[in-house]
Amino acid sequence: MSQDGNLREDTEEAVPSVDSENPEERIAARRLRIAARSEAKKRQELGDDSHEKKDIKEEARKSQHQVEQSEKRMIKLQSDGTELVTNIQVAADSRESQRRTEVEEAHRLRVEKLENEAKSSLEKFEEITRKWTVAKMKEIPQDLRDSLSSQQQLCALLIEDKNKLIHELQKEMKLSDDRYVKDLKKQGEDVDLMIERMEDQVKFLMGSYRDELDQIENSFEHERKILLTGNRKKWEQYMKERQDKELENVMQRMKRVEEYEVLLQQLRTEDAEEYNMIKIKLDTDVQILEQQLQQMKATYQLNQEKLEYNFQVLKKRDEENTITKSQQKRKITRLQDVVNNLKIKCANQEKQSREENQNLTDDYTRIMQQYKHMQKKMRHFAAIDAKKFEEVWLMNEEEVKALVEKALDTDRLVHEQQLGLAWQRPPLAFMERCGPLQPQRQAQKTAHQAISELLRLGQTSGCSLGKGKYREAGAGPEAGVGPGAESPALAVEVYESGAGLESGSSEVERESEGSGGEHSGTVSVKMVKKLLELLCDEAGFLIESKLLKLLSPLEKDEQSLMKLDSIFTAMGIESEEDVYKLADFFMKYRHTQGEQTQDVSAKWGVASPQAERGEFTSSCSPTSDLIHPNDVLVALRAFTAHHCRPRELAASHQPSMLGLGGREDTEDAAYWEAMGDVIPEAKLKIWGALETALDKYHIVLTERSKFITDTQSLKQQNTELRMLLHQYVNSRVGVPVIASRGFVSRMCLLI
Amino acid sequence: MSKSPGAGMYPPVAKLNLAADPRKMRRIIAEDPEWSLTVVPLLSNLCLQCIVRNFEEKPILEELLPRHKDYVLERLSPSLPLQVTANLISDDGYWKRCCKQRWGLCDVSSYGHSWKRMFFERHLENIIELFIPDATDPKTVLGMVPLCRNYVKRLDISQLLPPIKEPQKSEDDDNSDSASDMGMDGPSMDHFDFGILLDKLSHLEEFHVVYRVKGCGMNFEWNLFEFTFRDCESLAKALKSCKTLRVLRIHQSKVDDEKCRQLVNNLLDHPSLRELNLSHNLIGDRGARAIGKLLNRSKLESLTVYDNNIRGPGAQAIAYALAKNSSLLSLNLRLNRLGDEGGQAIAQALLKNRTLKWLHLGGNEMTEPTATVLSQVLVQNNTLRSINLSCNRLGMDGGKVLEEGMCHNSSVVECDIRLTEVGQESDYCISQVVRNNQNQAHTKHNTEENLAQTSEHY
Repeated sequence: MSQDGNLREDTEEAVPSVDSENPEERIAARRLRIAARSEAKKRQELGDDSHEKKDIKEEARKSQHQVEQSEKRMIKLQSDGTELVTNIQVAADSRESQRRTEVEEAHRLRVEKLENEAKSSLEKFEEITRKWTVAKMKEIPQDLRDSLSSQQQLCALLIEDKNKLIHELQKEMKLSDDRYVKDLKKQGEDVDLMIERMEDQVKFLMGSYRDELDQIENSFEHERKILLTGNRKKWEQYMKERQDKELENVMQRMKRVEEYEVLLQQLRTEDAEEYNMIKIKLDTDVQILEQQLQQMKATYQLNQEKLEYNFQVLKKRDEENTITKSQQKRKITRLQDVVNNLKIKCANQEKQSREENQNLTDDYTRIMQQYKHMQKKMRHFAAIDAKKFEEVWLMNEEEVKALVEKALDTDRLVHEQQLGLAWQRPPLAFMERCGPLQPQRQAQKTAHQAISELLRLGQTSGCSLGKGKYREAGAGPEAGVGPGAESPALAVEVYESGAGLESGSSEVERESEGSGGEHSGTVSVKMVKKLLELLCDEAGFLIESKLLKLLSPLEKDEQSLMKLDSIFTAMGIESEEDVYKLADFFMKYRHTQGEQTQDVSAKWGVASPQAERGEFTSSCSPTSDLIHPNDVLVALRAFTAHHCRPRELAASHQPSMLGLGGREDTEDAAYWEAMGDVIPEAKLKIWGALETALDKYHIVLTERSKFITDTQSLKQQNTELRMLLHQYVNSRVGVPVIASRGFVSRMCLLI
Repeated sequence: MSKSPGAGMYPPVAKLNLAADPRKMRRIIAEDPEWSLTVVPLLSNLCLQCIVRNFEEKPILEELLPRHKDYVLERLSPSLPLQVTANLISDDGYWKRCCKQRWGLCDVSSYGHSWKRMFFERHLENIIELFIPDATDPKTVLGMVPLCRNYVKRLDISQLLPPIKEPQKSEDDDNSDSASDMGMDGPSMDHFDFGILLDKLSHLEEFHVVYRVKGCGMNFEWNLFEFTFRDCESLAKALKSCKTLRVLRIHQSKVDDEKCRQLVNNLLDHPSLRELNLSHNLIGDRGARAIGKLLNRSKLESLTVYDNNIRGPGAQAIAYALAKNSSLLSLNLRLNRLGDEGGQAIAQALLKNRTLKWLHLGGNEMTEPTATVLSQVLVQNNTLRSINLSCNRLGMDGGKVLEEGMCHNSSVVECDIRLTEVGQESDYCISQVVRNNQNQAHTKHNTEENLAQTSEHY
């Protein structure tokens, strides 16, 4: 059992894991898992049967145990047998090795012996050879014989020794031969014994194998029997159960069959009654239907005749229709021809018109070129004109200035010499100026500048609209009073600058600008700033996203400035005026929205600026909530709708002033007039009076001068006459005295 | 065998004496499955019979239908010339009949269950064993080569005949050694020259050869059992040329050191040699050194040199090679003269070697010092499965040391220490450990088998 446990452990260890790298092993592992799960399920279902199964397993184990045991036994028997058989071999081996050592030993001894022998025999041989020399020396025959015989003896001894050795060796050889034969025999016996043992072993092993096989078979048989009986018992039990169940089922079925038969009978009777009723009813129905059928047949015949007649009529009509159809067809073909013709014509026309169009486009381009050329020319001429204009202007101006100077001089002379009055030079600003008048519009600021300034101003103080505004607008003193209440220093400055700069400018212009100034002055800077911030927040959609990204690192004010700028460009607001218009519009909008009940809206157009301002300040500064953020967009839209119209108008009339000729000449007249009016009317009157007086004086003087000349001539005549007289007197006093008498009288008269 | 050709090749003339054969009078002959009442055989059968009769002149076999082919093969005579049949007939049944007719007793299991292979191997062996140098024409052997080349996988030559000598000479040289033979201008070769054969057998895997004469009886002469230098040279060259050889066995042939060296020199770096058996020879230390060299210059898995004359130095050479070797599985040095010197060297080599599974050191005059080193081996080495130390005088102390070593071992399943004079106690202990190891190995084996079965099942 312990072995079994081991086995199971081993299998558990060797079970393939799902996490293994080898895909086949993973598959195997999954399969095992599935099998285990299904088995577990089965076991749960069976429940009680598991016990029996366990028993069976136990017994199966028994047989397995038996198998293992016999296997072990057989292995042991086998190893024992082989040991028994190989024992002989081992013994032979050991004998052989022993023999080898012995042989080696004997060999060694033999070699030693032989060496010894060789040594001794060599000595003996040397002795003999020595003796030979001695014998040679001997001359006595007897001695020689003696020595020879001794030599012979010695030789015989030596040979005997050798022979003995040989004999010994031969004996040894024989011994070893014997031993070899014995060994051979022994080995043969060993082999026989081995074969015998092997056969015994084979027999024995066969027997034991058979025994073991029988035992194993028995155990399996036993197991099988147990299994069979168990299964049969179970089988019988199940069979019995089944039989019982079947019997029960049969009984139930019988019962049910009876019940159903009764029910069937009942149903049959009921159905029969019903059937009869229905049959009668249906019979009557059939009769009615037959009557109806007859009627229908009659109507059918009638209808058939009618239809036949209709059919004839329709046939006729059809024939007519075919005729008309053919006519129509013919007409269609004719019309088709016409259409084709028309198409061709149309194509031709198109071609012509295309050519015409081509010609016209060519003309157009040519005219455009001409136009451009003309424009260029016009510009050129305009430039030349302007130059000429300037030159003429300068010339005229110089002339006029000289004239003015002359007039002033004469005036001074008149005053000083004729009237004896002190003469004061009137202030003449335009005298310093030279060249044509430049339009003053440039002074107007762009919306952008206005905003930036506004924002800057808004930070420092809560003053009303910027000084730039007043300076530019040249606001009159009455405009400066309003804001002056809040920042007098600024107002004064504005006033001064405005007075200094614009004293010479025309009244008309000042008034027009002033009104704008007044208007813009109505909205306080703070409010405008707030409004702008509101706009900045609410109309963010008008700003490009790129711009927003670029703006992010800037300061808040600068950011809002840039945003406003972009918003205004999007809305088309360009100048500061527009900004204020917008602000104003917003305020109005709010009021129209919020204060309709007060009915102030009517007042807006007429009310004096002061009143407006008052209202603005009163309404805006405390509450400080402007237009509601939600209404900003609506208001904006309304503003753009309002604002755009005048803008369009302005745009339409802009191109005319595009060139250099687009100068304003309204001021010119004033300018020249101012030049002309350098001597005022009163003075002119004085001059008139002076002239008449001087005329009179002149007449008197001329008369006097005439008289003087008359007297002079008379005096001369007198003298002459005197002389003549004298002469006459002196010479002849006769005839001439008569002629000269008249003369002398005249002379006298003169004197 | 006699019955079927009789029934098939029945001559039409035999019909005349129908009555003579009692078989013909019977209506049904149950023991002959081909017997039928129709007296006239079918035309196809007649044709087939004709083919069978004239098979030698006109071998027609492959063109036939399978059914007819069987019929013809069943009736072909086993004595047909091999030139006709060798490469044409592959049916084992025919060759079985040939073998049975020629040798009677046959064990086909040792020939890979192929009768044809058996026939050709034994036929070639017979030819070589009866080859007499200078007397037999080498063409008798060479003529067989194209016929049997594809079927011969093993050659087991159990004898090689020497050349015939003139009678007076043989009488003269009765007692003389082979050295005197060598001097004369005798035969062109001393035994059959394998050089002409081995390189032509392209499927040869096993080659066993013994230079001796079988059954010489009272005509024994020393020179009948002579393996000369010339033989050695030609054999070595032949072995070198045979590239498919896996198993080589040269035993009982008086291979001494010089011949061993020559053989080994020619076997160095052999591409396929796996098993070398040089048992029952006269190899000494120098030969052993050569073998040691061969161990690491080849893919040898099994080396058997038992019953030789290897001593300590030779064993040291083999041990040196063994320490570096990683292919040898089995080593048999039984009945040599290793002594303690050699035994210790081998054991020390086993401390490093991790492939050897089977070791036989029986009858080597080893004693206690070898046993101490071997016990160390038993502790450290876990690849060794079987060790045989029988017939060594290990003594009581050696036994105890071995017992200690075995206590720490779990891989050795066979340990033979018979006739080693170890104490009974150690003997018992060692056998106990061995049995334990066997059981473990057995269970392991069983579980592996079970696993294999289950995996197959899935």
